[in-house]
Amino acid sequence: MKKVANTLVIANDILIPEVVRLIDEGHTVTLPLRGNSMRPFLEDERDKALLKKPADIKVGDPVLAETAPSHYVLHRIVDITGDKVTLRGDGNLGTEHCRLADIKATAIGFYRKGRDTLDSTSGLKWRVYSWWWTRLLPVRRYLLFALHPHIPQRIKNKLHEKKSGQ
Amino acid sequence: MKIKTGFRLRNICGENIIVAEGIENIDFSKIISLNDSAAYLWQQVEGKDFTADDLATLLCNEYDVDETVAKADAEALAQQWLETGIVEE
Repeated sequence: MKKVANTLVIANDILIPEVVRLIDEGHTVTLPLRGNSMRPFLEDERDKALLKKPADIKVGDPVLAETAPSHYVLHRIVDITGDKVTLRGDGNLGTEHCRLADIKATAIGFYRKGRDTLDSTSGLKWRVYSWWWTRLLPVRRYLLFALHPHIPQRIKNKLHEKKSGQ
Repeated sequence: MKIKTGFRLRNICGENIIVAEGIENIDFSKIISLNDSAAYLWQQVEGKDFTADDLATLLCNEYDVDETVAKADAEALAQQWLETGIVEE
């Protein structure tokens, strides 16, 4: 664990069990997100999820699941057959599996792009996005490539600095 | 002043974190954490009314620190606690 200019970085295998504990106690938890596995809706180090105790889990829900011992993902459920759950991150092509009991929390909304307003998973924006994005799975590979920042942000920042410097 | 109702000190991942158990949402993007001496003081004044002077006395008793330094630190800490809203007058 380290502190970087007022930011505390904690490894998932230590932090998430604590998050789950708080969820089980009945709290909701606002969790900053890392990684690219839920692109394009959610971006690395930019967005946060609002997590709650899971109830009425169904296909399409974004959930926090333990897919391997001490390994957690926040991905969308794409299939539930009996006790077996299949997950696929919106920014992924591959899937993970777990059991219903491994679903530790459900995301009821997201705080995106630094905003204070919640993009609720029961809201229109998420539902329309989900409808399209899940149906575009056959071409997801190409969409993700097109949406991927080909010029890394740090290079963009450098170019911007040069321009405004002149 | 006293600690607001429902505010508790929890050890989360090795850090002393203030959690508002009366409040439904725990926000991991904005955490209030206390260093070890602040956490000690918090535990000493839980459930009690206290002043910055009380904190200073506790510091002097527990740590090898000069009284004037303790007073200044205690004032600053009490002010911070009030400002972040975990303690009320």
